[in-house]
Amino acid sequence: MHSNRLGWLLLAPTMIILFFFGVVPFFYVIWVSFHQWNPFAANPNMVFNWASNYRQVVFDAQLLASLGVTFAFVFFAVVSELILGYLLAQAFMKDFPGKAFFRTIHTLPLIMAPIIVGSIWKLMTTPSIGIIPSLVQSWFGLDLNIGQSAAAAFITTVVMDVWHWTPLVTLSLIAALVSLPPDPFEQAQIDGANKRQIFWHITLPMIAPAVVATVFIRLMDALRTVDEVLMLTGGGPGSATRYIGVHIFKEVFPRTNYGYGSAISVVVLYMTIVICWLLYVGLIAPRNTRKG
Amino acid sequence: MADELDKLAQEENPALVLARLIEENEERAPGIRQGFLPIETNWFDRVFISVVLWVALSLFWFRFLEPLGLSIWLGVALSLIAAIYIIREG
Repeated sequence: MHSNRLGWLLLAPTMIILFFFGVVPFFYVIWVSFHQWNPFAANPNMVFNWASNYRQVVFDAQLLASLGVTFAFVFFAVVSELILGYLLAQAFMKDFPGKAFFRTIHTLPLIMAPIIVGSIWKLMTTPSIGIIPSLVQSWFGLDLNIGQSAAAAFITTVVMDVWHWTPLVTLSLIAALVSLPPDPFEQAQIDGANKRQIFWHITLPMIAPAVVATVFIRLMDALRTVDEVLMLTGGGPGSATRYIGVHIFKEVFPRTNYGYGSAISVVVLYMTIVICWLLYVGLIAPRNTRKG
Repeated sequence: MADELDKLAQEENPALVLARLIEENEERAPGIRQGFLPIETNWFDRVFISVVLWVALSLFWFRFLEPLGLSIWLGVALSLIAAIYIIREG
């Protein structure tokens, strides 16, 4: 009983902070989403309007288009990061000259603020002064202009996200690979399994929980990408890179439409939770159930 | 259990047999059960699934059924019935 009380006492500061900075804002956003609230309108008060904001959400063509490009962005970014992160993790498992230096350099993007990443990539992709359009022009003979081409802007945002977040995937997969016991691999080699069989039947099932946890983190982050993209493309050209976070930002801040912005945020949170839950139920829960 | 272990050990790898017997005799976490849902759930999982379905049905209702004249309250009632069924039988 005494240790139980001590445990709660030690947990209390964290729980109080989480309550005020996590739980209260969450319920406040839900509360605001049921109101019409524009503090700079003729009537600056919050007016309860039942579920009108949610009615507006399902008919908002720009929002639905935003969701489409967001899912495409998340899919390409997360899959690329996972594949590249795994290959880099496997490379870092081997010894080679300069390994420690390369690993440090490779981890540097992780510690950069997203707004700085956006600024750097904007400088690098600006036509006539950026290095990337210059290289693309000299190597492939193509004009890369992310201010004009929707496809170029979309691909550039994906590449920027991959550059920024692949080190996170690499680090978590290195941790998973290092913790694997050597016995199953030795037995598989004795039994004559090739590299592909070892990957599909031993490595992947054993690191699956780490992979899924990494996918969860990246999925949630990618779904709420705002600052990098806002800095790089501003959501354009047109609405080619107007991802859902950018859409909410443009709806809430320039137009001060807080009620509707909150409703969109709640719907996006709902989708994020459902996607992660489905991934968990599909990939992790059956393993835990089998284990009892 | 000892007889069973001896008998199985003659046929298979003893370590695997032991692992399987431990797994089969292990007690499940309290409150977890298998209902009509395809996964084992506790009461919180079932409440969560009910809320997820309620939100999905409401958004679907706003988009496709309310324009036809069906009130959202009908959707809320259906969601509540589904929630009670899932929490009791799921």
